[in-house]
Order: sequence, then structure tokens, then C-alpha cells
Amino acid sequence: MAKTIIDAHNVSKVYNPKTVPVHAVQNVHVHIEEGEFVALVGPSGSGKSTLLNMIGGLDEPTTGNVIIDGVEITSLPENKLIDFRLHNIGFVFQSFNLIPVLTAKENVGFVLQLQNMSKNEREKRVMQLLNEVGLEDKVNSKPGELSGGQQQRVAVARALASKPKIILADEPTANLDSKSAGNLLDIMAKLNKEEKITFLFSTHDMRVIKKARRVITLVDGKIDSDVEQIPT
Amino acid sequence: MFLKLAWLNIWRNKRRTLITTASVFFAVLLAIATRSMTDGVYENMIHNVVSYSSGYLQIHQKGFWDEQSIDNTFEADEKLSQILLNNPDVEHIMPRLETFALASYLEKTKGVLILGIDPEKEKEVNNLHEKISQGKYIETINDNAVVIGEGLATQLKLKANDTLVLLGQGYHASSAAGKYRVTGIIKLGSPELNNNIVYMPIQQAQYLHGAENRLTAISIMLNKSSSLDKLKTTLQMDLDTDTYEIMSWKEMMPEMDQFITADSTGHYIIIGILYFIISFGLFGTLLMMTFERSREFGILIAIGMRKRLLAIILLLESLMISLIGCLAGVFGGFLVVLWFTKYPIYFTGELKEVYENYGIEPIIYFSNNQNIFIVQTLIVLMLSVILAIYPGLKVIKMKPIEAINS
Ligand SMILES: Nc1ncnc2c1ncn2[C@@H]1O[C@H](COP(=O)(O)OP(=O)(O)OP(=O)(O)O)[C@@H](O)[C@H]1O
Ligand SMILES: [Mg+2]
Repeated sequence: MAKTIIDAHNVSKVYNPKTVPVHAVQNVHVHIEEGEFVALVGPSGSGKSTLLNMIGGLDEPTTGNVIIDGVEITSLPENKLIDFRLHNIGFVFQSFNLIPVLTAKENVGFVLQLQNMSKNEREKRVMQLLNEVGLEDKVNSKPGELSGGQQQRVAVARALASKPKIILADEPTANLDSKSAGNLLDIMAKLNKEEKITFLFSTHDMRVIKKARRVITLVDGKIDSDVEQIPT
Repeated sequence: MFLKLAWLNIWRNKRRTLITTASVFFAVLLAIATRSMTDGVYENMIHNVVSYSSGYLQIHQKGFWDEQSIDNTFEADEKLSQILLNNPDVEHIMPRLETFALASYLEKTKGVLILGIDPEKEKEVNNLHEKISQGKYIETINDNAVVIGEGLATQLKLKANDTLVLLGQGYHASSAAGKYRVTGIIKLGSPELNNNIVYMPIQQAQYLHGAENRLTAISIMLNKSSSLDKLKTTLQMDLDTDTYEIMSWKEMMPEMDQFITADSTGHYIIIGILYFIISFGLFGTLLMMTFERSREFGILIAIGMRKRLLAIILLLESLMISLIGCLAGVFGGFLVVLWFTKYPIYFTGELKEVYENYGIEPIIYFSNNQNIFIVQTLIVLMLSVILAIYPGLKVIKMKPIEAINS
């Protein structure tokens, strides 16, 4: 049996508890095992981003806890948590993920720099990553010179750079046309297969949902369904 | 990499950064130019005034300053001269015998200041010989000749080679009277000296006053870079303070010291205000650079960048912006100072008179003391660090998720 990589245990999030409480996520349990490729879906406002942020250690659950690869991250002090994210979690946001003054290569290398990887090693790894996302000819382009889809691919390469256990992506395809969206998902699926990286991404897009092997649906902050499927 | 990132970041908004660096540049340039000018003026003023009058330091018989009489003189002593000359901070020593007397020529009479000098020494220190406007400078230490101020010569209606009669009081109530050939007439910047001075070789002066081998003072000129206060302290330890008193020009001419202090306070305030204004510009730029990138900062913190590192990058950006302006300002200031040390400004008209009344050459010298440049650079560096504190704290307090959603 594969090991559990994400274990969100009975997490709830209440915004503005003192004024107008919003129960964004309510008593949610999520178990995801190493190597899974999971889509988080649901109507707008159903709590997808809130849940992803709590799993990624960017937001604190009001109650419950999050265990990533056996580490209870909800109780980590700030700098420990930042370092934990650096080494274990890759993030892809909806848009403008990258540092605009750095090239694709430098953006990907940035994470490795934070990990104090030597220059030679870094160079090798960055080239390999940009290769994997099909951007070997754009290594020296700045984000402004790349299309939205290419920028998201650089963001995926960056998320991958630190060899994280999981990559969390909050609507990574929201700003992309369907061709680039499909392309990005194919790359993610390939990396999932080849590098055994666990992906958890939220999306509205039916075509993206179809590529997932497991779909968790949130409604009003609660899990409405959690099904496995054959990706198409 | 982080240095490079900071460097790239400051050029995201080229115009804003250029405007900010330009303001720092002008502030530093202005500060350096004014400091250099005022310091130069002060240094020159002090040098001028003291070299013709007291010297930077003077050694007297103890009690002389309170009762400036020929009776309070001291014996010139080889050992004393040796102690002074052995001190590396001492550049020149000038023995002097300074008295008041009546001078007359034909039917004109006037009170004068007789300054018994070593003509060679004064030549070296003051270039007195170059200021002779008529006749010649004194040849030797016992030459029976005097050089008098141009103003005095005019009042006495006397020309070079005329004979001047001096009448005064000598040592131990003896009388001092003598006839001297005026070998030269000298034009001095200070009207007070110009109108009153009679330079006489020191041995003649001693002879005139019946004060063989006695001095009212030894004036000390110090090396350019040496510290006055330090020298005074060492001398106070080296010399017998029961016999001698050691005074600096600040004690002997307190008005000039006060004038300089008051005048430079005004300059400090103006420069302070200037930097204050510049700080606002720099601060505004730093704040904008922080707030417009808060989403980006949020993402960087999310992917694993420690906030402190981010704050350090902000600090680097602040330092870079201000250092560019500052170094350009220092370089520009250096050129300005270089130019004006080569081609000093000459005063004309009223200002010239004002300066001459203080006994100063009517010239603006610029000081090229490196401290001026170092101090301005340090001020700017300090400002840029202080101004980066607030944006830095903002980053430290930043919640990544709020920043990303902003
Ligand atoms: N910072 C916040 N303060 C208060 N309420 C919030 C905050 N963030 C989210 N919410 C509320 O929490 C609920 C869940 O929001 P969330 O962003 O997680 O939904 P979502 O599923 O990601 O929606 P979308 O598909 O539009 O991105 C919503 O009702 C939202 O209004
Ligand atoms: Mg969302």
C-alpha cells in the first residue's frame, strides 16, 4: 500500500468569526496517497482555495490539523513552516507566479538557490526541468516575453524544482485557453507518472477535470463526493 | 543572485529610480560643495589669521595673557625649542617679541604694534616677503631695519627707506627708543595689521626693549593634518606648566571660534533640512516598491523564501538606490572641489571688505578634507538603512495568503 502524503484531518475554516462568520470549510477529511493526481472541484465559493491553502500551510485551519508526509504542519513555527514548504511543497498559482525581472531559467533556479544548491547542479537541474515542460528554447526569456501557458509551465517547473512531495495548484489553467490548458495538464500528468509527484489542483474546467484520476467535489465547504475515474 | 535580483528590481521603474537617485545625487553634491566651501573658508581664515597673529598655539610666560607686559616675558631657551621641534605635529616655531609703542615720522605720530620676528621663519610660514609692496624685506635677524604696514605708512606719509622713530617702554621700566630705517612696506589682508604693524628683526626688538634674549611668545604652526587639541595636551605634559602657559588660538581669539561655531551650525541645519526632504522622496519610492510587489512577495514567501531574506533584498534595493546617487554625488562633489581648489573664487565689493575686516584674504578656498566625503556617504548610507526599516517590517509582518489575494 502506498503511503499517505496528505492527511487533512477534520479541518474547518471560519472567516470573520467575530463579525459575520463565514464557514468556508467545514469538518473536511482528505487523504491523498503518494503519486495521486487529484482534482478539487466545486462551485465558486465552495472552499477550494481555502482548503488548498490550509493543506499548503499558507493558511491556518480554525480547527483540525494538516499532516504532510507525516509532519503536522499546523503547529510549525513560521520559519520552520517556510522551510518545510521550500523542501516539500510546490505551488502553482492562478497567474503572475513568476518574478518578472528574472528569466525562465532564473525563476526556476531561484528555489534551488534558496536551498543553497551549488551553481553547477542548479544549472543542470533547471535545464532538465525546462526540458520536461517543453521550454528548452525559452530558458532566457523573461515572463513578459512568454505566453500565459508558457508562464504556467515555468511555474510548474519551478514548483517541481525542489523535488517536493506534493504540488498544489489553485486553478492553474484559469487564465489559459483550452489548448494551453490541455497542454499544461498533459505535462502535469506526465510528471505525475514519471516522477511520482503527487498533484492536487483545483479547477472549474471540465476538460481539466477529465484528466484527473480522482475528483473531490466540495459544496458549501463540505466534501460532496470523492470518486476515482479513468482519465481521458 | 540576490544582489542581482535587488539590482534588477530597482530598475523596474526606471524613471522613478532615476528621479530618486538624482535627488540623492544633488543633495550629496550640494552638501559636499557647501561643506567643502565653508570648511575651506574656515580653515583658510584660521590659517591666515593665526599665522599672522598668534599661531595655532602660543607659549607664554605664565600669566602673560592676563597681563601682556614686556615684564612678563621669558628667556628664549634652546631646550624649550628642542622639545617643541621634536614633536612631529609641530611644523614651525616662531619666536616673537610683541609690544606696543609710539611711532613717528616727521610731524606724524601713531600708536603701533611692534612685532619682533625671525624674518626667515616668517618668510617660510607667511610668505611675508611676497607681500612687500615697496622696498625690500628684512634681511637678517639683527638687521637694523623694519617693515611696516601699508596703512601705517600712508597715515605717517612715509615711504621705503625713510627713517621711523619708535618710542615705548622697555624691560623693567627702562625706556625703549630707537631710529629704524623702513626697508620695506608690506600690504596685509587684515586692516588691523595693515594699519598698525611694525615688523622688526627679533634681536633688534630685544635690544630696543632692553630685553636681551627674551620673548613674549613662541608661536607654533602645526602640520596640516594634525590635531590642535592633541598637540596642546602633549605639550602640556612635556612642558613645565608652572613656568609656561600654552594657549590655542581658540582661547586667544574666542570671537573667531564662536563665529565659526555659529556659522557652521547654520550650515548643518540647512544640510539637515536638505537630507530630510530627500528622505521623504526615498521613503516614498521604497514604500511604492514594497506595496506594488506585495503579491509577488506573497508568492515568494509561499514557495519557501524566508521573510528576513526578502527584507534584506529590500534593504539592498534601498542601499543601491541611495548609493548610486551618493557615489555620483561624491564624484561630482570631488570634481567641484577639485575645480575650486585649483581656481578659488575671489570676492569683490562689499563681501571683500567684510572678509578683510576679519583679517582674512577675500578668497574662497575649498577644503578637500576627505572627511567631508566620508561623512556625507555615511549619512546617506545611514538614511537608506533607516528608511528601509519600515518596508522591511511590513514584509516581516506579511501574511502570504493575504498578499497573494491582494
Ligand atoms: N479572506 C477571507 N475573508 C472572508 N471570507 C473569505 C476569505 N476568503 C474566502 N472567503 C470566503 O470563504 C468562502 C470560500 O472561498 P474560497 O475562495 O475558498 O472558494 P473557492 O472555491 O476557491 O471559490 P472560487 O472557485 O471562486 O475560487 C467564500 O464564501 C468566500 O467568500
Ligand atoms: Mg478559489
